[in-house]
Amino acid sequence: MPKHHGSYHSISDLKESPIKPKKTLQAFTSAALVLPGLLLTSAHAADKDRINFQYSRYQEGERNLFGVPNNLKPISADVLHGSGSLSLTDRTKFFYSYTQDTWSGATPITIAPLAANSNNPVLRDNPFGGTTIVGASPLINRTVQLDHDLNPLRQDPRTGQITGQDSRSVMVLSSASPETRNQGNFGLSREWNEAAVNMGGGFSTERDYKSSFGNIGGRLDFNQKLTSLKFGSGYTHSEIGAILDHDASPYITKTAYARQIERKGGSEILRGDRQDWTANIGLTQILTKSALVDVSVGYTHSNGFMENPYKVMSVIFIDPVALNNNLATPISGDMRALIEQRPNIRNQLAFNTKYIQYIAPFDAALHLNYKFTLDDWGVNTNTFDANWVQPFGNEWTFTPRIRYYSQDAASFYQPYLFSRQTVQMNKFDAGKLPDNFSSDHRLAGFGALSGGATLNRRLSKGINLEAGFEYYTRASAMQIGGGGGNSFADFDYYVASAALRLDMEGVGTSRPGAGNSSHNQHSVVHHQHKIPPAGIMFGHMLDKPGDFMMGYRLMLGRADGHMMHGSHKASDPVIVEQGCSDTLPCRFTPTYMNMRMHMLDIMYAPTKWWNVMLMPTFMDMDMNLRRLDKAPPPVPGVHEHQGIAGHETGAVGDTYFSSLIKLISIPGHRVHMNLGFSAPTGKVDIELRRMAKVDGGLIHFGMQLGSGTWDFMPSLTYTGEKNRWSWGAQVSGVKRLEEKNKSGYRLGDLAQATTWGGYDLTRWLTASVRGAYTWQGAVQRDFDSFNARIGPMDFPANYGGQFWDIGLGMSAVIPGGRFAGNRFGFEWIQPVRNDFNGYQLDRKGMLSATWSYRF
Amino acid sequence: MTNKIRRVFFITLLLSLVATTAMAEHLDEISAACTLTTLDGAPAHNLRELKGKVIYMDFWASWCPPCVKSFPFLNELNHDMKDKGLQVIGINLDEKVSDAQEFLANHPVDFSIVADPSKQCAKGFEVMAMPTSYLIDRKGNIRHIHRGFRTGETEELRALIAQLVMENP
Amino acid sequence: MKEIHYVMIKSMLVVSIGLTGCVNVAPWERGNLAKPQMALDPHPLQSEIQSHNYSSREAAPSHKSSTGGGGCGCY
Repeated sequence: MPKHHGSYHSISDLKESPIKPKKTLQAFTSAALVLPGLLLTSAHAADKDRINFQYSRYQEGERNLFGVPNNLKPISADVLHGSGSLSLTDRTKFFYSYTQDTWSGATPITIAPLAANSNNPVLRDNPFGGTTIVGASPLINRTVQLDHDLNPLRQDPRTGQITGQDSRSVMVLSSASPETRNQGNFGLSREWNEAAVNMGGGFSTERDYKSSFGNIGGRLDFNQKLTSLKFGSGYTHSEIGAILDHDASPYITKTAYARQIERKGGSEILRGDRQDWTANIGLTQILTKSALVDVSVGYTHSNGFMENPYKVMSVIFIDPVALNNNLATPISGDMRALIEQRPNIRNQLAFNTKYIQYIAPFDAALHLNYKFTLDDWGVNTNTFDANWVQPFGNEWTFTPRIRYYSQDAASFYQPYLFSRQTVQMNKFDAGKLPDNFSSDHRLAGFGALSGGATLNRRLSKGINLEAGFEYYTRASAMQIGGGGGNSFADFDYYVASAALRLDMEGVGTSRPGAGNSSHNQHSVVHHQHKIPPAGIMFGHMLDKPGDFMMGYRLMLGRADGHMMHGSHKASDPVIVEQGCSDTLPCRFTPTYMNMRMHMLDIMYAPTKWWNVMLMPTFMDMDMNLRRLDKAPPPVPGVHEHQGIAGHETGAVGDTYFSSLIKLISIPGHRVHMNLGFSAPTGKVDIELRRMAKVDGGLIHFGMQLGSGTWDFMPSLTYTGEKNRWSWGAQVSGVKRLEEKNKSGYRLGDLAQATTWGGYDLTRWLTASVRGAYTWQGAVQRDFDSFNARIGPMDFPANYGGQFWDIGLGMSAVIPGGRFAGNRFGFEWIQPVRNDFNGYQLDRKGMLSATWSYRF
Repeated sequence: MTNKIRRVFFITLLLSLVATTAMAEHLDEISAACTLTTLDGAPAHNLRELKGKVIYMDFWASWCPPCVKSFPFLNELNHDMKDKGLQVIGINLDEKVSDAQEFLANHPVDFSIVADPSKQCAKGFEVMAMPTSYLIDRKGNIRHIHRGFRTGETEELRALIAQLVMENP
Repeated sequence: MKEIHYVMIKSMLVVSIGLTGCVNVAPWERGNLAKPQMALDPHPLQSEIQSHNYSSREAAPSHKSSTGGGGCGCY
């Protein structure tokens, strides 16, 4: 943190101007405070070998802007999680977890007196000759009228006349484009009869915040395992590279960080780093046949950059001379926005107590938790929560839950500050400000009450389903011993989640004759038909009625390099001229685009000749743009892409479900038909954040997460095999069943023909080569609401084409040992020839990876 | 070849280790405490009657995952070595016998299952953890105590049992 | 206020360590403790989501103790 005592800082003199704070804002809300590496997940230590998939959605309610019309969407997050714990030997386990979250919505950037009117309504002319309020835009440099006790005074917006004192505060909101964070953890544990050790590590990355972490821990059991002593420690290193917004920057005073700001590609990047050490020790003690207690103490030391660089403090500068003036004359306060300043060191202590009691009459368990924490920022917290875990028979478990939380404010928390000095020539005396200040409402005093429930359903064969829901409400008035009163930061949220859990061991032992496992392993390899290359969907069927298959498919696609027109490179001036429309020249063009799709394959065989499949998908994409050479200059009020940051989107994609029907099955040859449908669960109305008073509008067609229409997806597949050779062919298509989606357009139809050959290199490893031809139509119709139309990717004609690809793949089935029967496949699809419709970025290829397991 | 040497060495080591403790642990001293019944409550084995056989005695409960995991192995042992003079006994320690019955209905076993309703037998054998197995030679000496169950440990156990059934046939 | 917390926590520790001596639960008496509802964390996936959300909205440290202990006590 830079020293600022006595130094003169300059601030911008631009006033009354709307700002657009970082698009990366929300992302910070997720990682910066969470410290992923310091959490030692209990999922890792599951007794059984287990694989989990989970989706959850976090949705916040609207913030209270005291009547200012506001169409900003509240914060929401889509979280995809996959994890597992697998035995490598009898006593060693490997665990992994992967989490991807995408945040979007409007977030508070500062707090200001309500009388400052910082949430400024955005008006737009409507077609009927009037004006419509389309949103609120933040104004962070304002003049505020104050009385001599520094109470803000409200002014009539038209006459400017003072109408009275108004001491309310309000959060100043700004919208943001979606941002994605990825986190991966890996670890190993080793167990003895009365002890265990574990170590792990991982990373968390998002555009502006990168962390890596490691941890070790262990357990010692005493007294016939009635007592267990547990300990752990971890270290996290984080690097912050926050891209300050082009639009916002002129209105934010950031001189305190001048040395940490780097300029690059027209953007200002605020850099910092941070380290966290943690240690904890705990004790589990069995009290009776039906009760146990668990106590633990944790300590965390953090140092470095702990600010949220997108949060600013509203500082109201007052001329000391004016304070001595006539008491009847209002004082004019000069409100500026300064990047918040937190201490560089934080020490936190946490005490946890948990008591668990078995309630025999109900076969239920009551879990009571109490947590007390304190730190040297003055934030003391108390948490109480209670769970009632109620099984119903062997199959259902219902767990209602209630929680109460209360925290004291950090010593340097203030909604906004006053400073008795004037700003002259954009300079002020930083020594007259406190060393640390933040108006982040998460450091304020408040209380929160939440409640929810979890429902588990155990299906046969080690498959478990879990659904969870929680509602959370935060209120200043609920703080223990708090004054309450100021409710401006109150809000609520809910979280809903769904999970699928596979117990791998449950699967193994439920097989008849599992004791003599060599027989089973044999059958796994030899009694299954060969599976087509990883890039083929709907390519095989299950043979035995009642069989169940669980699979995961990852597809990574990338486009970058040159812009193409047909099968040739297109130069910038040509794209400017022809890539968009006759009336509107192109100004921007994509530099790269990445697409990632996660898909779960759930397949079930009701009969030998009929299988059903359900495939939920989760998509995320990122893209960056550059200004085209010879592009026309920016026009005020028209969307411009600025800075070095690109766009990201991500959340649930479309959901596929289908029926597979076996037509021919003779030794060596099989033919089946797939009748599939795609349900429009992926969003097609994702918007870019508003820039200044200019709408971001809908993001490019290719960055929307689904088709938005119900689609029919038929295919016909032939597969053959002889000795070590296997081969096949498939024709497939996608027909959009609706005229247009809710954003007004429809993606082009698609047809594909592919054929492949495979050879078994060993009993368990197969190599394959594949050729594919794909035809895809251009986007039909167009967006029916605003889209910025800045480049080729915003025009329907620049989608689709004809593509010739070669696929090289490997697939393996684990022949024996504890992972017998798991199948893995990889395939790289290399474009050979492309004939693009219109102007498009060159395709670089696609990687498909699959895992599947038959129950 | 080296594997075999290692195994022989391991077994010898194991046997020499347990041999020292086995002096005090004799079936005759402990079995007096054991009033075993069938799961239905009818009187069952007197352990002394089994003298002359090698006994693999396994204390288990239906709620104990490694116990459950060991059953296929115990089934195999019973199947392969019954004729050579091995008696596998699973002594159930469930507090509710119905839990054990329900469990066995779903996971049938071939070896004999008895219950220890008073838990005196478990106390007599000083069962410290679940599951615990006692390997008793033909003379009634406890030659090996095995706690827990991991699939990787079955080969050593098997070799040990094979060794014991060869003694004084 | 702080002192009260310390006293509470210390006494919890002392009591639980003291209990170690007199607690008498035999290895075969852990049928109830072995039930999934009695696990220290019966719903780890839910706990993960919860702690993620709480720590992005609250200032308390999101410590979790290392896992293990309790349960069936099997070897």
